Amino acid sequence: MAKQLAFYFDASACTGCKACAMACKDKNNLPVGINWRKVFDYGGGGWIQHPAHPEFMIPNNVFVYSTSTACMHCEKPLCAEACPAKAIFKRDDGVVLIDKDLCIGCRYCEWACPYGAPQFNEELGVMTKCDFCQDYLAQGQNPACVDQCPQRALGFGELDELRQMYGNINAIEPLPSSDISHPAIVITPHKHSQPSGQGTGRIIKLPEV
Amino acid sequence: MTEKNFLTKALTKTALTRRSFLKWSAALGGTAALAGGLGYGLKAVEAAAEQAANEGKWVPAACWGNCGGRCYNAAYVVDGVVTRQKTDDTHPDSPDFPQQRGCARGRAQRHRVFGADRIKYPMKRAHWEPGGGDKSLRGRDEWVRITWDEALDIVASEIKRISETYGPNSILWGTEAVGAYCGYINTWGSTSSGTWAYTAPRVFGSQSTMGNDRLDMRNSKLIIMWSTDPTVCSAGSPAYHYLLSKRAGAKFIFVDPFYNWSAQVLADEWIPIRPGTDTAMLLAMGYVLISEDDPENNPLIDWDFVNRCTIGFDKNNLPDGADPEDNYKDYVLGLDRRGRVAAEGHKNYPPKTPEWASEICGVPPEKIRSFALEIAQTKPVAFMEGDASARINDAQTMGQAFTAIAALIGSIGVSGGGFGQTRHSAAGNRGPNLISAGSANTVLESLDNLCELRINNNEFWDAVLTGEYTSAVNEKTQVNIQMVYHTKGSHLQTKVGQARGIQAMRKVEFALATDFHMATGCRYSDVVLPVTTMWERDNYITNPNREALFWMNKVVEPLFEAKDDDWIDRQLGLRLGVYDPAVEEISDKQQSFNRIAGATVLAADGKTKETLVTITQEDLDALGVEGTPQTGLIPVMEYFEKGTYQVPRKDGDNFSYIANQAFREDPEANPLRTESGKVELHCRVLAEDIYNLGWSKIRPIPEYIPAKRGYEETFSDWKNKVKGPYPLQMYNKHYWRRSHSEFDNVLPLRELFPQEFNMNPIDAEARGIKDGDMVKITSSEGSSIRRVCLTERIMPGVTNLPHGAWTEFDDELGVDKAGSDNYLEAPVPTVEGHSGFNSQIVQVEKWDGPRLLPDSQWPQRIPIKEV
Repeated sequence: MAKQLAFYFDASACTGCKACAMACKDKNNLPVGINWRKVFDYGGGGWIQHPAHPEFMIPNNVFVYSTSTACMHCEKPLCAEACPAKAIFKRDDGVVLIDKDLCIGCRYCEWACPYGAPQFNEELGVMTKCDFCQDYLAQGQNPACVDQCPQRALGFGELDELRQMYGNINAIEPLPSSDISHPAIVITPHKHSQPSGQGTGRIIKLPEV
Repeated sequence: MTEKNFLTKALTKTALTRRSFLKWSAALGGTAALAGGLGYGLKAVEAAAEQAANEGKWVPAACWGNCGGRCYNAAYVVDGVVTRQKTDDTHPDSPDFPQQRGCARGRAQRHRVFGADRIKYPMKRAHWEPGGGDKSLRGRDEWVRITWDEALDIVASEIKRISETYGPNSILWGTEAVGAYCGYINTWGSTSSGTWAYTAPRVFGSQSTMGNDRLDMRNSKLIIMWSTDPTVCSAGSPAYHYLLSKRAGAKFIFVDPFYNWSAQVLADEWIPIRPGTDTAMLLAMGYVLISEDDPENNPLIDWDFVNRCTIGFDKNNLPDGADPEDNYKDYVLGLDRRGRVAAEGHKNYPPKTPEWASEICGVPPEKIRSFALEIAQTKPVAFMEGDASARINDAQTMGQAFTAIAALIGSIGVSGGGFGQTRHSAAGNRGPNLISAGSANTVLESLDNLCELRINNNEFWDAVLTGEYTSAVNEKTQVNIQMVYHTKGSHLQTKVGQARGIQAMRKVEFALATDFHMATGCRYSDVVLPVTTMWERDNYITNPNREALFWMNKVVEPLFEAKDDDWIDRQLGLRLGVYDPAVEEISDKQQSFNRIAGATVLAADGKTKETLVTITQEDLDALGVEGTPQTGLIPVMEYFEKGTYQVPRKDGDNFSYIANQAFREDPEANPLRTESGKVELHCRVLAEDIYNLGWSKIRPIPEYIPAKRGYEETFSDWKNKVKGPYPLQMYNKHYWRRSHSEFDNVLPLRELFPQEFNMNPIDAEARGIKDGDMVKITSSEGSSIRRVCLTERIMPGVTNLPHGAWTEFDDELGVDKAGSDNYLEAPVPTVEGHSGFNSQIVQVEKWDGPRLLPDSQWPQRIPIKEV
């Protein structure tokens, strides 16, 4: 029995294709507006005149990498702490779940979560989020996002084992510092990954999803 | 709270069954507002109830986009409706034997099949009359439901009337029945392959024998990715193959206007280059290699290969009758026939130095030089290109210039090497198929198309509007097209010149379209016929790549009144009298079975073909087909259930493919299929064939020709670098939302991929444009509006409008709102008559008009609002 299930994300392999996000939307029938797994392109740098040939513009530290993020099933789940209805609980295996029967849709957890994981479903009137595909796990299968990734950039397992295999990094831009809620995730950084809070870039996207 | 309780209450309680789907869909009001008011095309389902009831079944499901992936999907079917999907899990995943995992589009396939915007029954335009009625209302009219009989009668009678009135050559596109009755005009011209279509067979003998297989590519030390982004353009496995090459130690250099999504994972270095200027850079690289090569102290050129396996490198190796100045070396070095630097005005002037090229391509001269040296000094190097730089006006010789470099640096015919097109399903993994389907054994002969006329892709809309097209050198011919049949291809959306196309659609007397959704062809037609998707048919058999064969059959019964294309054609043909009602083709199911019965797979020796499936009489009965029992590798029913057979691979197996290895070893015994049997750096046939098409005259060597609508034309005064009215280049990257134009209507994909227009912040700032602003993009053809996503990953002076969005022209605003690339694209026939999608010039300005809603919030195109 796992103590803390965690996702593994290999940022060095992620192309930002969003197959994982779509797999999650498909498996969970998420409507437009709700994305339990999200993918962000983060990048920066600029263009400067070539020092010897000013008629040429050249890229100056242009960088981009993508980050796929869902619920972190945090060791210190702030969503559960914030919930006035005690609708959010952490299982013995570390997975954090929302009990829809108890949720009153007040959206406090949405405010509390540093990762934007809990999202309000207007039709249902309750909060929803990544549940680690716990129905698939119960049948010995993998989460939908993990199985979909054409780059094999997603994995999961026991947090301690993942750390032994891949190291301790659990925060990169654009994710927040891991000191806030201690996310259960292990990340292999992209060569351009920047530490949370020290980024020189920005999320590259149109201002919606 | 127990888990079981959580599980059963996790999702909404309404199970989506086929009956309820059909009823619900009929009750769908005019709005797309469904669950959550967000215009989602499907109702939520209760996964828990499905599983608890255990009613559903996983079946293999086709992914039928023309994307080069066509990966494995499976659909969970509950009472005739698909409630969720999954990708390949038919065998454990490993780098050598990878699952055929799909992309976001394939995972959203069920939205195409079951979306609320599915066309349900035949329709005619409310204001249509024979002859067209008010044709200006095409694209703006209401729709009226009609029966199949009514629809087919209308189509048949208009075909008869138009062909009788206007004679042959009056119908554009068609199906077999139309061809057999009166004939229809076909269009022609390379689209995806750009100028490789003519260049590759003549310069190199083939398009398909250029790269090596994916395991061999792990031997590459350096892989050049020139204008290619397999992550997006061949989504699925190819990017993973390249990632494994990287992990095996290959360095990657990308040459591209955009630091693309493959580059972000693979690139050790990015060389930004202006679209359409590749030939200039390639020639300059040749200049560096030739002028700096020293076989003893600094060997840069594979002289052994050049001397034995090419013609045209210098004046000593030219075909009889050739002009001695038409050789690669003298052209590149800028020399005349006496070997002296040519004077200005001479056809070989100027020397193609890095300085000369850099002014055109935007790559600093030192970088051109160091890049050329690096690829010549590293072995083995794979010199790959993804066709984007061939989809440029006038760029006929790009492929020849590219091939010349590949020849010089020794990439051809070696392990870890390879060169040329890395594209579509063969991206990162070339080689003959390891597994192939057999013959369908159809019984009927296809009927010929009575019309032999073909009009080039760059001219056919003008041919409708002006009544003439280019038929030969200096020759135009009249034509009077009065009917357009949009079928089996989204021509009005995916061919250049869409703005003219819309005008043309309002000129002809009759137009009809077949489709699953109200895509562009349907919008501008008089009659719309609903067709079944591949999930509603048997007989989807495809090689997603050389290693696997998919056999996918009906996932669900045809929805509403949708019919197969073949059924439509047959009904039309019976009305036109070209088919014998007493004779029918064998069913799709039988054809499909025949192909599988005849399928073969290579044995481990890499040579012997083995029969794939074992068939018993019980199997024949179970499948309901005719056939004979046979012995093979796997039981046919096992294959039927799984939908895929993939050949396992491993290091050292006999399935490797090193392109042109035998040719390199002995070019006389293993000639290429070129005129000389060798690589033609001087290609007489290419020049002759291009000339005879009637638009261009090119030399037989890779001369640099400035592209029409290319970088040079952004200037009104090139010498003084004064910009003209269209100062920015625009090109059209493939985009994850779509496979060409397919999937554009799928709401979750519209949400994930918002069809942003990309500009560099420098160009935006100069125009007072901020990130997320609405902008108007204007070409000589018209204007589109989009929201801009500023990014440093595109070079200044270049913009990207993702390829394939379905045009949505707003009559009041006078602009296309969808960002349809071909709406802005000018059709310019040059050289081989390919489409220069990536050579376009535009102006961009801030748009102060109404702001667009995000694409995912646009109403779905539901043509008839039922009560």
